[in-house]
Amino acid sequence: MASILQFIANGLVFSSIIVLGSIGLSLVYSIADFANFAHGDTMTIGAYGALVTFGLVGGVGGTFLGLPLGFYIALVVGMGLAAVVAVITHVFVYRPLSTTSIGLLITSIGVAFVYRAGLQAIFGTDFRNYDVPRSGPLPFIQDSLGIAVTARGLAIVVLAAILVAGTHALLQYTTLGRKMRAMADNPDLARVSGIRTKRVILATWVIGSALAAAGGVFLGLFSQIDPRIGFDLLLIIFAAVILGGIGSVYGAMLGGFLIGMIHELTPLLKDVGIPIGIQYAPAVAFVIMVVVLLARPRGIAGELT
Amino acid sequence: MSTASLTDRIGSFSRGEQVATAGVGLLAAVLLVGVVVGWITVTYLLYLVALAGMYVLLSMGLNVQWGYGGLINFSVAAFFGVGAYGSALLTADSSPVAGGFSPVVGLVAGLLVAAVLAVIIGIPTLQLRDDYLAIASLGLAEVVRMIVLNEREITAGSAGLTGIPLFFADWPVLGSLEYPFVLYVGDTALFTMERSLLIAELNVLLVVVFIAVVYLFLRRIHLSPWGRVLRTIRTDEDLAKSLGKDTYRFKMQAFVIGSVIMALAGVFYTHLVLYLNPQDLAPVLTFYVWIAVILGGSGSDRGAIFGGFTIIALQQGTRFLNAAGTIPVDPAALRLMIVGVLIIAIVRVRQEGILPPEKELIWPGSTEGSADE
Amino acid sequence: MSNVTQGAVLGKDDPVLRTDGLKKSFGGLTATDDVSFEVERGTITGLIGPNGAGKSTLFNLVSGFYEPDEGSVSVNGTDVTDHEPHEIVGEGMVRTFQTPRKPEGMSVREAMLVGPQGQTGESILPLFTSSSTVRREERQSLERAEEMLERFEIADLATQSATDLSGGQMKLVELARAMMSDPDLLLLDEPVAGVNPVLAQKLAGFIEELHAEGQSFLIIEHDMSFIMRLADPIIVLNQGSVLVEGPPDAVRSDDRVVDAYLGGPA
Repeated sequence: MASILQFIANGLVFSSIIVLGSIGLSLVYSIADFANFAHGDTMTIGAYGALVTFGLVGGVGGTFLGLPLGFYIALVVGMGLAAVVAVITHVFVYRPLSTTSIGLLITSIGVAFVYRAGLQAIFGTDFRNYDVPRSGPLPFIQDSLGIAVTARGLAIVVLAAILVAGTHALLQYTTLGRKMRAMADNPDLARVSGIRTKRVILATWVIGSALAAAGGVFLGLFSQIDPRIGFDLLLIIFAAVILGGIGSVYGAMLGGFLIGMIHELTPLLKDVGIPIGIQYAPAVAFVIMVVVLLARPRGIAGELT
Repeated sequence: MSTASLTDRIGSFSRGEQVATAGVGLLAAVLLVGVVVGWITVTYLLYLVALAGMYVLLSMGLNVQWGYGGLINFSVAAFFGVGAYGSALLTADSSPVAGGFSPVVGLVAGLLVAAVLAVIIGIPTLQLRDDYLAIASLGLAEVVRMIVLNEREITAGSAGLTGIPLFFADWPVLGSLEYPFVLYVGDTALFTMERSLLIAELNVLLVVVFIAVVYLFLRRIHLSPWGRVLRTIRTDEDLAKSLGKDTYRFKMQAFVIGSVIMALAGVFYTHLVLYLNPQDLAPVLTFYVWIAVILGGSGSDRGAIFGGFTIIALQQGTRFLNAAGTIPVDPAALRLMIVGVLIIAIVRVRQEGILPPEKELIWPGSTEGSADE
Repeated sequence: MSNVTQGAVLGKDDPVLRTDGLKKSFGGLTATDDVSFEVERGTITGLIGPNGAGKSTLFNLVSGFYEPDEGSVSVNGTDVTDHEPHEIVGEGMVRTFQTPRKPEGMSVREAMLVGPQGQTGESILPLFTSSSTVRREERQSLERAEEMLERFEIADLATQSATDLSGGQMKLVELARAMMSDPDLLLLDEPVAGVNPVLAQKLAGFIEELHAEGQSFLIIEHDMSFIMRLADPIIVLNQGSVLVEGPPDAVRSDDRVVDAYLGGPA
C-alpha cells in the first residue's frame, strides 16, 4: 500500500511537468494551427535560461517552499526567455511562411534542431544540475503517510498547481482568455467571427512557451539538464495532448496528468502480470496514444469542450 | 502538340537540373582531387559512394511516402533499423538469437518485419489527419530504439553486433574469391587487387543494382493511375475521396512500400559496415533523409538521388571542417544546426525543391496513341 | 400557391437519392434537423436557402463526408448511411466542391484521368502483370477526357498545368472530371460562385445539355437567376430543415421563402 502511495507521489511530480508542457502544446496546436515539434526544445531553453540565471543570483534572499528565492528569479527569467525566443521564432520564421499546417509542422522540426544545436554549442552535452542543496524526504510526510517526498518534489507540485490555476483564471475570466478558448475550440468559427487576431496568436506563444519553460525548469530540478531533455519528452507530451483531445486545454491538463501518472506507475504493471521495465515508460505512453487514436481519435475530452 | 510540349520539358535542362548537375559534379571533382592528392584512398572513396547509394535508397523510400502521397514519416531511422537489425541478427556470428543464416534470408526477413511494422503504425493513423502520422511515427522511432537498446538478450544492446558477413559472402564465385585477387591472362598477371578494394567495388555494384531495381519498380508504379491517385491525395485527400478513391488503401500501400525500401537500405548498410549498434538508429538520420527529399524535390525520384549525394557532402563536409580545425564548435552541434537551418530555409524559399516532379503521371505509351488522332 | 408544398415532396416515382430524417449537430448547434427529401431521376433539383440554412452540411452528409447523428441516406435504392465517401461514389453519386483546390503539379488532362472508376492501373499488381490492359484503359480514358474537354470547349487547356487555370476554368474542369466517373447523380456545390457571367452562362448551357441527355443533378447555388433558370423542382432549406419544395416560379414568389430570406418568421 505504501509503495503504491509512493508511486502516486512520484507520479504527481512528473505529471506536474507533463501538464505544463501539454497546455502549451495544445494551445499552440489549436490556435497557431500546427503540431509544434519545437515545443520540447522550448522547455529545454527554459531550463538552461534558469540555469544561467540561477548561477548568477543563486545566493539571493531566503527560501520559500524549501527553494532559495534566487531560484524563483531564475524560473521567471527562464520562462521569459522561452517566451521571447518563441515570439521571435513566430515573427521571423512561422508568420512569413505562406504554407499549410504541414509546412509549418516540418519547419518546426528545423526550429527544434536550431534550438538544440544552439544550446549544445554553448553548453555542451554534459549533464548539469541546479545548485540547489538536495534534502532528504520531508519528515512530516514520511511520518504520516510512510512515503518519501522531497522538498523539491513538493515545491514542483505546488508551483505547477499555481501556474495551472493562473492559466485557468486567465482562460475563464479575461477577454484574452475567452478569445483564446474560442479559437482553440473552433478555429473556423473564430476565424469567421473575426477573433483570429495577431494579438491572440502572440499571446498564445507567450503563454504556451512560458508554461513549457516552467515545465523544463522543473524537469531539470526533478532530474538533470542536458540539451536533449525537452525533445526526449516530446513524445510523452504529444501522447498527453492526443489523449486529452487536440484543441482542448482542459483535456490537455487531464491528459498530461494521466500520462504523467501512468509513466511513473509503469513498474506497478509487473504486479498485474505485465512485466515491463521503467525504461519502457515512454513506450507505454506511446501505446496509449495509439489506442486512443484507434478508439477515440478526438481524445477523452474531445466532446466536452 | 501535347507530345511536343512534353519533349520540350524533358529535353532541355531546367535551372534546377543545372544546379543539381553542377552540385554533383563539384562534389565528384573535390573527391577526385582528394584521391589524386592522397587525402583519401580509392577504397574510402568507393565506401563513400556506397554510403551515398544507401542514402539514395532511403530517400527514394521517403519520396514514395512524402513525395508521392504527402505522408509525414518521422520514423525513417526505425524502418532502416528494422532492416539493418533484422538482417544482422539472422546472419552475424555474435547474434544472440539466430545467426549464421544467409544474408538473402536476412534481407527477406528485414523487409517483411518492416512491412508488418508499417501496417501496424498505418492502421491507427492513416485514416486521420496528416499530422497524426507525424506524431505517431516519431513515437515509433523512439520505441524501436528503446527496444534495440534495452533488449540485450536479443539485440546485444549498446555493445552492438559484430561478425556480420558481407552480403555476397555465401555466393558462388564472389564468396570464394581469393585475396589478393590476381587476374591472369595466360601466365601474365594482368592486374592485382587488394581485398578491401575489391570488396568496396562489389558493394558499390550491389547498391547500384538495388537502386536500379527500386528505381524501375518505382517508375512503373509512379507513372500510372496508382501514382496519379496518390498525387491527388497529396493535394487534396477529400477530392480524391469524392472521385471514388479509397484513399486509406492508397496511403497504406505507399507507406508500406516506402518503409520496405528504407529497410532495404538498412540491410545494405548492415552488410556494408559489418558492425551495428543502437547509435545507427539515431533520429538525426531521419532528418538527413527528409532534407534529401525536400531539397531534391518532393515527388521526384531524380531529386531523391540528388538528395542522397547531398547528405554525404553535408556529413563529410562538416567532418572535414572539424578535422581541419577551422571551427571551434562541436561538429555534432554544427551538423544539427545545418540540418535545422536547411529545413527552415527549404520550406521558406523553395518548397518545390531543386528538382520538382515534372512528369505527367500517365502510363507510358498511352499519350502517343491519343495524340495521333 | 397550391403547387408549393410545405416540406419536401416525398414518394416520387424513381428517386435516385433519398434522405430520411437526417440530423446533425456540432457541439450543441444543430446544423440539419430531420431533413427528408428526394431527387427524382432525370431532374435538375435545386437546393437553396439563406446562409447557415445547412446546405453544405447536407451535402457533406449525403456524400459521406459527415456521419449523420440520426437518419438515413440511400442512392439508387441502396442504403449508404455511414458509408465511406468513395463507396458512395461507387453507388453512382459524385459531388464537387465549392472551392476546388487546384491539383498542384498536374496537367489538366492528368487531373481528368483521376475521374474514371475502377481503373485496373490503380492496383499495384496489374501494373506488372497486365500492363497492356492498363495501356488500353489509359488510351480510352485519355480519348474520353479529350472528348469531354472539347465538349466543354476547353480542349486547348489539356496539357496546361492545372495551377495556371482561372477559377472559372477550374470549375469547368471539375464538372468535366466528375462526368468522367459516369455518375447517376451529380452533386454540384455552387458551380458558378466566383465565375464571370459569360462563363456562368456557358456552364448553364452545358448543364442543360447534359440534362437533356438524361443526367440527373442536385445543385446548391446562391445565384438565383442561375438556379431558377436551370432547376425544377427547387427545395428550400431554412434553419436546418426543408421549408418548401416546388417549381421555380412558384417558389420565387412564395411568402414563406421570402420571409426566410429576409430573416423574418418562417
